[in-house]
Amino acid sequence: MKKKSIAIIGTVGVPASYGGFETLAEHLVDHLGDRYSLHVYCSGKKYKQEERKKTYKNAKLHYIPLEANGVQSIPYDTWSILHALFYADVLLILGVSGAWLLPFIKLFTKKKIIISIDGIEWKRNKWSMFAKWYLFWAEGLAVKYSHIDISDNEAIQDYTAQRYATLSRIIEYGADHTIPSTGTANTTEFPFMAHPYAFKVCRIEPENNVHVVLKAFSEMPNYRLVMVGNWNNSEYGRNLKETYAAFSNISILDPIYDQKKLDMLRSNAVLYIHGHSAGGTNPSLVEAMYLGLPIVTFGVSYNRVTTEHSALYFTTDEDLKKIIQNSRLSEIKALGTKMGSIAKRRYTWKLIANKYDELIREALQVKTKYSVQANSGKISYDELLSMGLSHLKHSEGFYSKR
Amino acid sequence: MTSLYLIITPIISLAIVLSIMPLLRKGAIKLNLTDKPTNRKKHSGNIPLVGGIAIWFATIATVLVSNPAWASLMEIRFLLAAASILLVIGIIDDKADLRASLKLTIQIALAYYAFINGIRIESLYGVFGIFELPIILQYGFTLVIITGVVNAFNLMDGIDGLAAGLALVSFIAFGFMAFLTGQIMFLYLFLALIGALIGFMRFNFSKKNKVFMGDAGSLFIGFIMVVSAISMIQAAQSTPDFKLILSVVVGVLALPVLDSLRVYRRRAKNGYSPFRADRTHFHHLVIQLGMKPRNATLLIVGISGALITLSITVGTYTSFTLMLLILMITFITLSWFLSLNNKVIYWKDKVLDMEKKLTV
Repeated sequence: MKKKSIAIIGTVGVPASYGGFETLAEHLVDHLGDRYSLHVYCSGKKYKQEERKKTYKNAKLHYIPLEANGVQSIPYDTWSILHALFYADVLLILGVSGAWLLPFIKLFTKKKIIISIDGIEWKRNKWSMFAKWYLFWAEGLAVKYSHIDISDNEAIQDYTAQRYATLSRIIEYGADHTIPSTGTANTTEFPFMAHPYAFKVCRIEPENNVHVVLKAFSEMPNYRLVMVGNWNNSEYGRNLKETYAAFSNISILDPIYDQKKLDMLRSNAVLYIHGHSAGGTNPSLVEAMYLGLPIVTFGVSYNRVTTEHSALYFTTDEDLKKIIQNSRLSEIKALGTKMGSIAKRRYTWKLIANKYDELIREALQVKTKYSVQANSGKISYDELLSMGLSHLKHSEGFYSKR
Repeated sequence: MTSLYLIITPIISLAIVLSIMPLLRKGAIKLNLTDKPTNRKKHSGNIPLVGGIAIWFATIATVLVSNPAWASLMEIRFLLAAASILLVIGIIDDKADLRASLKLTIQIALAYYAFINGIRIESLYGVFGIFELPIILQYGFTLVIITGVVNAFNLMDGIDGLAAGLALVSFIAFGFMAFLTGQIMFLYLFLALIGALIGFMRFNFSKKNKVFMGDAGSLFIGFIMVVSAISMIQAAQSTPDFKLILSVVVGVLALPVLDSLRVYRRRAKNGYSPFRADRTHFHHLVIQLGMKPRNATLLIVGISGALITLSITVGTYTSFTLMLLILMITFITLSWFLSLNNKVIYWKDKVLDMEKKLTV
């Protein structure tokens, strides 16, 4: 039997050297390449002519001469989707930028659509008002006009259930591409490695609570913090760098592009601090968990679900100070082991790829989308009332958490 | 001589409003004719509801003293009488909250009074290819449009300066039309209203000496607006300026009328009475863009001005039907974006709640 064709749309491309979706695409190619005929769309802006290949591992590559992120992601995804219509059986779309096309695809073609809606992208502060409007609207179309939609986190699934009364599937990210390197500490380049330190790496944005973490450590001179990020990219970053550079227990480092060096710094930390408050399962968090690091994370629902409610959680600098000052080393070590075991159970690419495989097989069979709206909701309110069943009119209570 | 009158008319009414308002404020506070803040009404302190009375007094007094064509005053006698009755109803409503059905009955009665004084919508002017209407339909349309516009304008009185700003733009546009078609009596009426509205806005925007126009003001202004509009259309029917006048009138009324229809439809769709008060009007949506009320007022008045311009442009060069269609599409697009923004904010709050739920 001929292999079914799957088009993976919406990433910068493979071989991956960028974010979460690209790493995902790479591992889908690795694990599903022999089961399906895979096609991956790549940004011609990010791969130079001489780097381009016709195929990568088992996948065919298509280059689109546009950026995959920012406002160009709309034409980028649109072009990719239209191209994929010529051959693909299933469109696996990562991100909602091209979702405006989906009503037409659903109406005029028999292609199966699986779309990963990512975090709650429209809510993020980094977008302008118009971008938020578009992403909000596009997310609605993505959920309504796909055959299956994917959330990367249970808390996002709760949100789609409430907003759309549909059942979103949860698939997280893998982390087993990170390599623990507990090798000798490089104390000549990084003198702070001679002592225990807490570690945080992230984009320097208010959403990642950089200011909260820095404030807490500035008030605890006996505890060392090492923080890596793009400090010079924004007013916010520059201000923080200026304010906290003077503290001897805080080391502020510019971005480190050498993955091995970064892994070395991460792996040797006593504590990993994760301040992300936005959108779903963060790849950097599952990576830190996979490295067996004890996690102290910002207490939003996404992070709690990712760490199975067993990490340490803060929402203010006072919380963070209390956690750090009151935790014993033995507890911290046990926490690291626990995080590692969760990651090894849940966040491996083989498992993630298999989940995608199951969804692809399901998508090839389903005609319509599963709803979590009970059929009783279709009966008129008056009729339900006469039967004494008026509570069945709105079934939200049955699938939303209390 | 005439041009001198044109200049002093608004100045007189402005001066009257500025001089009587402090007295009216004091009286209102004594008589408890004030607006108290509620969950839906977001102002601080008790605000005197005397703007309408001041505008009414200044307008009537000015028309009486500065009128260079006394003879034609009789032509609009019924209009001033009916609008003044509506003002009184408005004052009672501001003080004691009248039943909606009673208010509506009185409005219909006054619309009927205008009708028998010759204010009629006699034709659809080519919409759906329909021109002259049978008398029974003239009667129905006139009553529906007068009460509809009066209520639509009443609903625009939601943020500082909005109703007055919209009325100001409307009466400036109407003033030009009255000048163009030689409707001297209307011209002086509009000029008097323009001066009074400017005077009112000075207090409406003030922090210390704030007043509201109240239902009294918005009903009075709305009634004059719609009745004079119909009357000007009738008078211009066989003149070369007819298309222009019709376009201006439709452009002026477009925003309040379309928005009230949108709000009624939305409420009915959600299973509520169309007249149930809420915070979903155009100006509420604009404020949700994160604007200060004063900027929202400026923006909405600007939008109304743009709609008038659009209506004139399309209306004078193409058909009346096309003009209505384009105005509707423009308004629907605008309000679609505004309600999208409204939904984004609603869900943002909801998601923030959900994110925190597992926090403790």
